[in-house]
Amino acid sequence: MGVGFGLVWGVLNIVNLAHGALVIVGGYITWQLFTALHLDPFLTLPVDAVALFVLGYTMQRGVINRIIRAPLLFTFLLTFGLNLIIVNVLLLIFGSDFRSVTPSYSGQGLELGKVVIPYVPLISLGVAILLSAALAFILNRTRIGLAINAIAADRDAAQLVGIDLRHAYAVTYGLGAACAGVAGGLIALIQAITPTAGEPYTLQAFVVVILGGLGRVSATVIGGLAFGLVEAFGQSIPGSGSVFANAIAFGLLVLVLVTRPQGLMGRLR
Amino acid sequence: MVKGDSNRRWRRIFLILAAVIGAYALLAPLTSLDAAQSANIPLLADRLWFRLATIIAMFIVMATAWNIIGGITGYAAFGNVAFFGIGAYTTGMLIAKAKWPFLAALPLAPLVAGAFAALVGLPLLRLRGHYFAVASLGVGVAVGELVQNIDYHGQAVFGGASGLFLPIYSIDNRGLFFFYLMLAAAAAGIAVTWWVLRSKFGYGLIAIRENEEAAAVLGVNTTAYKVAAFSLAAALTGLAGGIFSQWNVFINQDNTFPIEYNVQMILMALLGGTGTVFGPAAGAVLLQLLIQFLGGTLPISFELPFVSETARPIVAQIILGLLLVGVVIFVPRGIIDFFGGRTRLSLGYLRRSLRETSL
Repeated sequence: MGVGFGLVWGVLNIVNLAHGALVIVGGYITWQLFTALHLDPFLTLPVDAVALFVLGYTMQRGVINRIIRAPLLFTFLLTFGLNLIIVNVLLLIFGSDFRSVTPSYSGQGLELGKVVIPYVPLISLGVAILLSAALAFILNRTRIGLAINAIAADRDAAQLVGIDLRHAYAVTYGLGAACAGVAGGLIALIQAITPTAGEPYTLQAFVVVILGGLGRVSATVIGGLAFGLVEAFGQSIPGSGSVFANAIAFGLLVLVLVTRPQGLMGRLR
Repeated sequence: MVKGDSNRRWRRIFLILAAVIGAYALLAPLTSLDAAQSANIPLLADRLWFRLATIIAMFIVMATAWNIIGGITGYAAFGNVAFFGIGAYTTGMLIAKAKWPFLAALPLAPLVAGAFAALVGLPLLRLRGHYFAVASLGVGVAVGELVQNIDYHGQAVFGGASGLFLPIYSIDNRGLFFFYLMLAAAAAGIAVTWWVLRSKFGYGLIAIRENEEAAAVLGVNTTAYKVAAFSLAAALTGLAGGIFSQWNVFINQDNTFPIEYNVQMILMALLGGTGTVFGPAAGAVLLQLLIQFLGGTLPISFELPFVSETARPIVAQIILGLLLVGVVIFVPRGIIDFFGGRTRLSLGYLRRSLRETSL
């Protein structure tokens, strides 16, 4: 999830406040396909990716491209507005009930001696690694991926050598949205979702990306791991329950920002 | 010549309108509510109006305060709601736990909020652009969570999840009293902005916004200026929070640290025009009225076509989102532009704003 967010931020210089909403859209597509067509939730993930790519491409091409050269505050507000629209359209369609996806194997797990690892998180981890690898491939080996890298390095120079900025921007945002969609499908498997459940994910994506450092897929994966560990640690403090997890995560965020603004793995640009 | 005339006319119309609205807001509450009710004067016949007017004044304070750090200094603070909450809890705790009188507890709200802002501002304001925005958002969220969750020997220090109840402040015409108090805070915010924009301090802040390195080279102590601006904004926001706590009698995490206030105050400043004296206030009035109107809580309202009663708040949010997108794309400098006599609302203006920022 952080990967898509980091891509949009690092390359397009857009802090995408609609990211959480896109995550939830992915979750609802998975839920819809699972309940209506009884598709296996993991098979719905490509559908999530394609649908969200199209949605993301359209959003960027139609709306966000219009304010790319405005001050950063405007992109904040614009994506917040998009977030508001998406969340409330979802509310209109699906209502505010909790929805969860529970395939037959959701309670079972892989037994390794005495330790039982449940299947769902295990496969999710596999999907996340696969997705990161696929993204790295697209960015480093394909024509459009190289174009995206060129834009991240120098936008004006990229335009000079004939890269269609509008299209490349929209593809980048689409890829980010697709990652969000897949993450949403996975999240729907692990916990119940509502249209308004997206906001924490936007915040978490922030933290993950900053922890890792901007613009590189591998750095974001490390950031995700670090964040997961810290949050789990926050939840395991005896006596406090889970209440401090968020505060600790954000404390860590501020600490990293102040001491190492380039992120744990990042280089200064 | 013709253009100049019409500009002047626009400005005059705007000033007259503002004066009329201002006079109405100030004088109308003086007539007794009962008399207004029996005479059936629109708006005043409803007590809800009072609450709304106070809330609007509250948002004027917050949007104006944000303008000092966000609009004039150019640092996109996204966690200012933390200072609102800190102000509310400072006053709330002093009244509820230490039994201070309200008027003694209130001045401490801006002091504590301002001091806290100076403390976190020192490290945070070294960050630029997105990083500052994100970090300030983090502070806003973290403070809210901490206030709700700090325990001491199993006792929630700040009232915890169940919130904090304050004794009701006994005074005649409570609604009127708090309305004027909040209005005074709003006036103070506007006066401070006016002073800042005309002082050496303000010129330093604008220099920082335009080019921080150049400002430093010219001898502006950028760190001190930024922290001072941040503190000033926090103090004003904290003042609003302090008044809110006694006015609302009950405070908890939900009503003193709502994330959406962050966006609302920024949108108000933006809608009205950032970096100006009256812009944020105008934006606050307009946006808050619109939010309440769309939400159907305004005394004057109408049925939206094709929308059922239950779906109405949802549709209101969608309209708000569309509006947000529209303002950001088409009116990036705020509506105050149309009244300053510089530009006029026209298709050409919209097309120009679109072209200026498009890819």
